[in-house]
Amino acid sequence: MATVTFEQATRIYPRADRPAVDTLDLAIGDGELLVLVGPSGCGKSTSLRMLAGLEEVDAGSIRIGDRDVTDSPPKDRDIAMVFQNYALYPHMTVAENMGFALRIAGVGKADIGRRVAEAARILDLEPYLARRPKALSGGQRQRVAMGRAIVRQPQVFLMDEPLSNLDAKLRVQTRTQIAALQRRLVVTTVYVTHDQVEAMTMGDRVAVLKDGVLQQCDAPGTLYDRPANTFVAGFIGSPAMNVVTGPGVDGGVRLGGAVLPVPRERLARASAGSGRITVGFRPEAVDLRAGDGVPVVVDVVEQLGSDACLYATLGAADDGDVLHTADLVVRTEPRSAPAVGEPVTLRVREDHLHVFDPVTQLRVD
Amino acid sequence: MTIASDDPRVAAVTAPPPDAPPAAPAAAPRRRRARLTRNRWGYAYVAPFFLLFGAFSLYPFLYTAYISLHEVRLSDIDGAEFVGFGNYTALLQNEFFWNAARNTLTIGILSTVPQLCIALGLAHLLNYRLRGRTFFRVAMLMPYATSIAAATLVFGQLFGHDYGLINALLQGLGLDRVDWEAGTLSSQVAISVIVTWRWTGYNALIYLAAMQAIPNDLYEAATLDGASRWKQFIHVTVPALKPTILFTIVVSTIGAVQLFGEPLLFSGNGMTNGGASNQYQTLGLLMYDQGWTNFRLGQAAATAWAMFLIILVVVGACALIARRRARAER
Ligand SMILES: Nc1ncnc2c1ncn2[C@@H]1O[C@H](COP(=O)(O)OP(=O)(O)OP(=O)(O)O)[C@@H](O)[C@H]1O
Ligand SMILES: [Mg+2]
Repeated sequence: MATVTFEQATRIYPRADRPAVDTLDLAIGDGELLVLVGPSGCGKSTSLRMLAGLEEVDAGSIRIGDRDVTDSPPKDRDIAMVFQNYALYPHMTVAENMGFALRIAGVGKADIGRRVAEAARILDLEPYLARRPKALSGGQRQRVAMGRAIVRQPQVFLMDEPLSNLDAKLRVQTRTQIAALQRRLVVTTVYVTHDQVEAMTMGDRVAVLKDGVLQQCDAPGTLYDRPANTFVAGFIGSPAMNVVTGPGVDGGVRLGGAVLPVPRERLARASAGSGRITVGFRPEAVDLRAGDGVPVVVDVVEQLGSDACLYATLGAADDGDVLHTADLVVRTEPRSAPAVGEPVTLRVREDHLHVFDPVTQLRVD
Repeated sequence: MTIASDDPRVAAVTAPPPDAPPAAPAAAPRRRRARLTRNRWGYAYVAPFFLLFGAFSLYPFLYTAYISLHEVRLSDIDGAEFVGFGNYTALLQNEFFWNAARNTLTIGILSTVPQLCIALGLAHLLNYRLRGRTFFRVAMLMPYATSIAAATLVFGQLFGHDYGLINALLQGLGLDRVDWEAGTLSSQVAISVIVTWRWTGYNALIYLAAMQAIPNDLYEAATLDGASRWKQFIHVTVPALKPTILFTIVVSTIGAVQLFGEPLLFSGNGMTNGGASNQYQTLGLLMYDQGWTNFRLGQAAATAWAMFLIILVVVGACALIARRRARAER
């Protein structure tokens, strides 16, 4: 009933030379938790604010359910928003903050009291109802902001980095609580974050934005297993995927004097234009010391306890024809990790190799 | 809010030095002397202020109190004769005093209330994105920068009986001419208009500065909560401006009690007694009359002190209300 649809929605700020959100197409299902993620300045907040009605839509349209809300004022959209800084009214108590929208809407006192009490119970805010925001901790304020949204029983929740003011531990705790709450209330939710871990753990689906353009919108698992382009491949996952470009040769891509095998058909399609080919592999999809393979030199070893991370560069036989911006990262057993400076060879497990066209940066299957 | 204790200068002097050792009773005098020498540069730095304050504020203030207890003629200041609180009792029995107090109160209300309300509304309008904001800011400060004399003379013309613009307008609307200067209410309204005209922009700028400190996301949250602009004004802006509003009320009240220049010049004929039947004689004018027309300095000093006490009471009441509200909100 309360789906949300962006159709070619575009926002160009006055005096900006390029759109902050560029022809965004996105369909969010009823009761779904969709996470918008991307680097700083990619247009996440702008998209959310367009949906809220706080930002104009310069082209395209936005629908909530069957209703076209492109030009409706915010109050007619039946949405509630949790702001990054919570935006609690400083002179109102917690209860008044949560009940404000209902009071404006002319709901009866008893009704407001009942709904506020209910929300306070869900969020463990009962002891604080008579306090002012000033007298609350950051986590409590965050819950009040959530409560203010819940009390309204809106069609859509919008959250703009609601956890970014919390410390790391509380952030992890709260994100599971928010996800659980959302699943319990079954309200369509659009959640903005720049933290890909938050996105992956919380979202039913995750939409990745870059420079105002939607890169991919898929379930977290799909996003991880089948990134649509090199940007998504590098953005999702921690440590990031290794993305390397080298000359395409018979049977694969030549890296550091050795050939990393690439299935014939994909190799042909990816290298058709430039004769080069971009491959990607996750740190955990690598076998070390497997005899023949790509020679690398280990620069740094990070022991994480459960496993170890190796940061390596291509070995001495690097013929200067290979492009990779960062060190190669390999995740391995902590006990069998090679020492710093040790030359090793690496092989990528075949079904874990991602192939991209070096020109378009798009995935090749 | 207590004005005195918020004053950083006062606080700097009364606050104990942070590193002051808890002095044992026996050693106290020596410690105190040691502390005086240790802090001598601090005292040296604040000394100029206290010298100036003493010479130009405290001394005249106390001397006025002294004079107010004496019968003094302007022609013979050294021939003061002690009369105790005689001047004060005389003042309280003086019908002119009560008349002037009443006039001061009504003019004060007639000018302060509209002035602050209009200022709040103006600031609210200016706070929205508006073209030519700088122009409006300067324009609002212009009346404040205008001399009272010039402003009052112009307004005196506007409110003139025969050739005044306002009466011409009234007549154009088919209403009767008003003899603004002669009537009690009409003259007080006219004076209030002058005061309001001069001070509205000033207060609006103070409000505007305070409004710009309100975070924008509060307004966005209120918008999403369904609040109209008017409701946002009531529920977001005004509560955030409370301390500022209190401040402007205090300042305007002080100004209202001391109102002098506008009624002095309003008559336009050089009379200084606030109209033929003293219909707009304020406390300030009464004091002037006592001291400089009747040459009774002791009486004038007593009136000055009475004005000061009135201000103290009003400001004290404001502070008390504010503190009680602040405590209730905690
Ligand atoms: N009011 C504005 N006027 C002009 N440009 C703006 C405005 N707000 C944002 N922008 C620009 O639009 C782009 C997208 O901004 P947006 O706030 O949506 O980024 P974001 O993805 O939310 O980033 P962050 O993670 O840092 O919050 C940025 O390049 C930004 O500079
Ligand atoms: Mg943002």
